[in-house]
Amino acid sequence: MSERITPAMVTSTTLNDLNATLTAMQRSTDELSSGKTISEPSNNPYGVSQVIDLQSQLEGLSAYEGDAQDGISWENTASNAMQSMSQVAQRVRELLVQGANGTYNQNDLNTMALQVEQLTEGVKQDANTQYAGQYIFSGTATTTPPYEQGANDEYKGNEETVSRSVGPGSSVTISTNISQLLGNGEGSGDGKLLDTLRTVAKDLRGGTVEDREALGTTDLQKIDGNIETLTELQATAGSATDQLQTAITRNEDLQTSISGALSNIDSTNIATVSIAYANEQAAYSAALRAGATIVQESLLNFLS
Amino acid sequence: MSIPTLQGLQTALSGLVAEQAALDTAGNNIANANTEGYSRETALLEPNPPIPIPSISAQTGMGAQLGAGVTVETISRIRNTYLDAQYRTQNSALSAATAQSEVLEQAQSAFNEPSSAGIASQLSNFWNAWNDLANSPTSEAAKEAVAATGEQLAKTFNELSSQLSTISSQTAEQYNSLVGPQGEVETYAKQIAQLNGQIKLSEEANQPPNEMLDRRDELLDKLSALANITVTEQPNHMDTVTFGEAAKPLVEGTTVNWPQELTESSGGRLGALLALNGPKGALTGLQEGLNGVASTLAATVNQPLAKQFFSGETAATLAVAVKSPEVQASGTASPGGNEVAKAEAALRGGAAEQSYAALVEKVGSDVRTANDNATNLQTTVSAINDQRESVSGVSLDEEMTNLITYQRGYQASARTLTAMSEMLETLIEHTGVVGL
Repeated sequence: MSERITPAMVTSTTLNDLNATLTAMQRSTDELSSGKTISEPSNNPYGVSQVIDLQSQLEGLSAYEGDAQDGISWENTASNAMQSMSQVAQRVRELLVQGANGTYNQNDLNTMALQVEQLTEGVKQDANTQYAGQYIFSGTATTTPPYEQGANDEYKGNEETVSRSVGPGSSVTISTNISQLLGNGEGSGDGKLLDTLRTVAKDLRGGTVEDREALGTTDLQKIDGNIETLTELQATAGSATDQLQTAITRNEDLQTSISGALSNIDSTNIATVSIAYANEQAAYSAALRAGATIVQESLLNFLS
Repeated sequence: MSIPTLQGLQTALSGLVAEQAALDTAGNNIANANTEGYSRETALLEPNPPIPIPSISAQTGMGAQLGAGVTVETISRIRNTYLDAQYRTQNSALSAATAQSEVLEQAQSAFNEPSSAGIASQLSNFWNAWNDLANSPTSEAAKEAVAATGEQLAKTFNELSSQLSTISSQTAEQYNSLVGPQGEVETYAKQIAQLNGQIKLSEEANQPPNEMLDRRDELLDKLSALANITVTEQPNHMDTVTFGEAAKPLVEGTTVNWPQELTESSGGRLGALLALNGPKGALTGLQEGLNGVASTLAATVNQPLAKQFFSGETAATLAVAVKSPEVQASGTASPGGNEVAKAEAALRGGAAEQSYAALVEKVGSDVRTANDNATNLQTTVSAINDQRESVSGVSLDEEMTNLITYQRGYQASARTLTAMSEMLETLIEHTGVVGL
């Protein structure tokens, strides 16, 4: 401590102390009002790079979650369409069994054939289902309907797959290759559903004994085979939905833990800062009081 | 031998004069109690040479020396030049740290992090747009969003780069205005040189120029904020002042050697301003770092694409090179392909973002270091200033006490004069007329 103390020293010390306390108060107010401990990089240089990093991770996770949600919606649309195809296949199978048992006359069979043809159009409409403006059964040729209405049964899509990212480096295939089920129609003789439906309609109209026999034997076998393929496709779509759902759950867990880490670095501890703020306020008013009273006094007050 | 008859009057008078001088000095101190740079003064009183009385005692024949009053030797200012030198050294360092902190704070606020408008958020928006495009590869709106967020991102890079350039050129301007004609360096140096001349004359006339010395010291304090200085007082009382790393002394007697070249290690505000803009300076580093982030971003985004998305290699020139219909979600012809968009979205958290986070960390720690330095040096400078103030500052209590002391001294001297006068009156008036 210095030997002589002059009023100027007391004044400047008091002023410095007031400034220091006021700076601390401003910092605390800033933390309390913004709820953030870091309002500029110099508050915590390493922390700010962590904040940038963690926020980016959070954004990434929420984007992946969006991707997975989108995938689930896509799969739900696909499942509904396949459910409808499955009902058509079952209905055709019933018609086949009825047509094969010989109690119906040719007129009845013709009516059944007409029904089968209408159901065929229905299957193709289901195959042309869109999700968010994209044909979901066309592979990546999402702007092209996979099947035309009418007699042409050729598959117009491609064999590529559509997938959704669900995490860094991990993605889930969400497209269903419907040509495995529907095929390219009668002309191709591939035994797929459209071929089967066309054959069934033809056999129903045919009227010969061979045609009737085919209904109960080869046609029935074919439709059973088709239904089995459809079930497999539905199972694949279901498991993709499960994978997406699992990814969302894991993703949300990660989001929770990263948000926690972020908040540890970034968020104001209200209790601690409030107490610090109260202390600073007390110090500030004490310094003010001291400055206002002590510096006023001098020997002059006591000389007459 | 005897004592001269009127000696007592002279002694009393010398007391009156000396006490008055001391009173005036205290009064002057009080008047200047709040004057910047004023050093308290004190009247140095010395006893007058005594009058020898060869043999005052008839018995022993011993002589004596009779005091002959007091004289005001000089009125000197109380100042510790060692503390001045210390103050100036620390003041240079403080001023350098303050300049650094001011400039870097500006750079830091240009980055605008953490906020929703900074580059980190813009990058996130950009990756989100690619992600949306991956989900709807045929959507024109998604392509539009990729192009728009890309534009926004590029614009943010451009703006930040231009803000950093502006800060850099303002730093250079500040330096130029300080060292230029009529700048602070020249103004202070000229005033010091002029004072040197006046002080020399005054000292030669044996009149200590306290006020001029105070003014010169104050100017030297101000000069020390601009660069490191050393002050050497010559035998003729003129100060020679070296400045920064300049080749010749800035002030030599009454000569001013300015302008001269300074270097980054000159210290003070000028040295700091030069260093910030120097080849290894913080501002240069930030601009280069930002360019690095921009070129990494352009390279990584363009890499999976047949047609370049970003053009430009630096932060100032980064721009989106494609129109929104040309944004590719896929490298193949299939409209539903999304592998490119997925690859772009997977760049989130990649090299560009990491180098940007490192850059923000760097600007933050630069500012923090500068601020911490400035705070520490402020404490040191305040402490030294307190010591100086303790030596040279005016204490009103002390001056009031001096006033009373000297006032009483004056009164007592006056009383002595009265006593002498009465003594002479006895001699002249009451010894009567002989032989009448």
